[in-house]
Amino acid sequence: MPFRHLLVAVDGSEASERALQKGLELARLLNASVTALAVEGPLPAYAATIGEVEEVRREKDAFFGRLADEVRARARAAGVEIEVEVRPGHAAELISRVAAERGADLIVIGHRGHFLRDHLLGSTADRVAEHAACPVMIVR
Amino acid sequence: MGSLALATILVAAALAASMLSVELGISVALIELSLGVVIGNALDVTTPEWLVFLAGFAGILLTFLAGAEVDVPQLRREWRASLALGLVSFAAPFLAAMAFAYWGLGWTGDASKIAGIALSTTSLAVVYAVLVETGLNRTAIGQRIMAATFVTDLGTVAALSVLFVTPSLWIVPFAGVSVALIVGLPKLAPWFFARFGDRVIEPEIKLAFAGLLLLMWLGERAASHAVLPAFVLGLALSSHYASHRREQERLRVVAFAFLTPLFFLRGGMSVSLGALGANLGVLVLLFAAKMLPKLAGVYPLARRYCAPHAPFTTLLMSTGLTFGTISSLYGLSAGLIDETQFSLLVAVVVLSAVVPTVIAQRLFQPDAAEEARREAAAARRPALRGGEGA
Repeated sequence: MPFRHLLVAVDGSEASERALQKGLELARLLNASVTALAVEGPLPAYAATIGEVEEVRREKDAFFGRLADEVRARARAAGVEIEVEVRPGHAAELISRVAAERGADLIVIGHRGHFLRDHLLGSTADRVAEHAACPVMIVR
Repeated sequence: MGSLALATILVAAALAASMLSVELGISVALIELSLGVVIGNALDVTTPEWLVFLAGFAGILLTFLAGAEVDVPQLRREWRASLALGLVSFAAPFLAAMAFAYWGLGWTGDASKIAGIALSTTSLAVVYAVLVETGLNRTAIGQRIMAATFVTDLGTVAALSVLFVTPSLWIVPFAGVSVALIVGLPKLAPWFFARFGDRVIEPEIKLAFAGLLLLMWLGERAASHAVLPAFVLGLALSSHYASHRREQERLRVVAFAFLTPLFFLRGGMSVSLGALGANLGVLVLLFAAKMLPKLAGVYPLARRYCAPHAPFTTLLMSTGLTFGTISSLYGLSAGLIDETQFSLLVAVVVLSAVVPTVIAQRLFQPDAAEEARREAAAARRPALRGGEGA
């Protein structure tokens, strides 16, 4: 069955770079459209100052703004139709939910993100593979 | 242990705390406090005078920053609805915890006052983070909760400044200089910042530090505490900082890079794990002495002013962290509480940052988009009724 709409999870890590590359190649081959989803992690829990929260939020906004621009530029260069979404939330849960909402028939995701918790608690990719309603391609 | 060795350990701990904070998504302050506990209990360290002083100054700076971060227009819009909520949120745990410490635990009058003050707080930052994360900061209910939190904290800093005053002539210059700075600095700021600001030698940060140190010195002479004028001074300058974000950012850089880590590490270093282990029952009772009056006092008002999200509001108003730690550290530094009492109070404060937040987020968190729709519909209703009447 050909894939018509792909959801690629991006977070700026090397693994997600490779996932985006493979996702765009596959989309071009299949003439499929792509949703790139960047999940903003939580703000610092139990903060002591509003300043800490505000600065982290500003850094996140700047980081994900740059990431979204880069992803659009890569898709344009590859000749693939793409929509980029940045949403706050729990990564594994949100990736599965947005894939269902967008009718994605394949999720493409890097094998490991760039945070320590991915290494300590098991990767987001593992959890997506377990819970998603559609096929998942994990890129190494 | 020598000063240089201790300073090296503390700065290394501050660095580790920053890295862990980024990796784990937990506030750097909480990690600094925890690492301070490890350092204080693992090493044989006597807190040196320089650390006591720097931590004391950092506490005042944190208070000033908290005032400067208040959204004044939001406060003006919401103050009537928030006044009752905020005052009860302060007074109920303050009176209950103070009474419990005095009669229930047999603490001295001054130690009981510190207990009441430390456990009366609501954490502006914890509440703010939850509201921003959920998008509720843009709704009326979110703004009301923030304004009520400000009122609670104003009660806390006022109590800390007023309750330990010993009448003396020093009160006059303390009060006079406080008023002069609060009234004068916002007027002076535009000229001063235009003439001397935006330089790497940071005259504007030095001006703020000079004002805060002057307040600390006069407060100490008056046997009071500079938290109230520091908080109100920050509030008076908040509009200025709101329109000069780079200045505020640089002040935060100085504070977060060096001073506030020392405050939280010093706080953690004075927490005795042995004392906590030996007094677990008291810890639970003190936690209840904070939470139960907060819940009982705030919930009925939250039902009136923050319906249909009263449980969520009540739990957020029950959080605490920075002002609770500042109050406890003041009590310890001034000799009003001992190390065991300090350890218990800080542990309760940290628990109150985590437990109600987790419960509020897991069980009662409103959907921000739905709340915005509900508020918009409620705002349209009187207009429709008016239209029907006409």
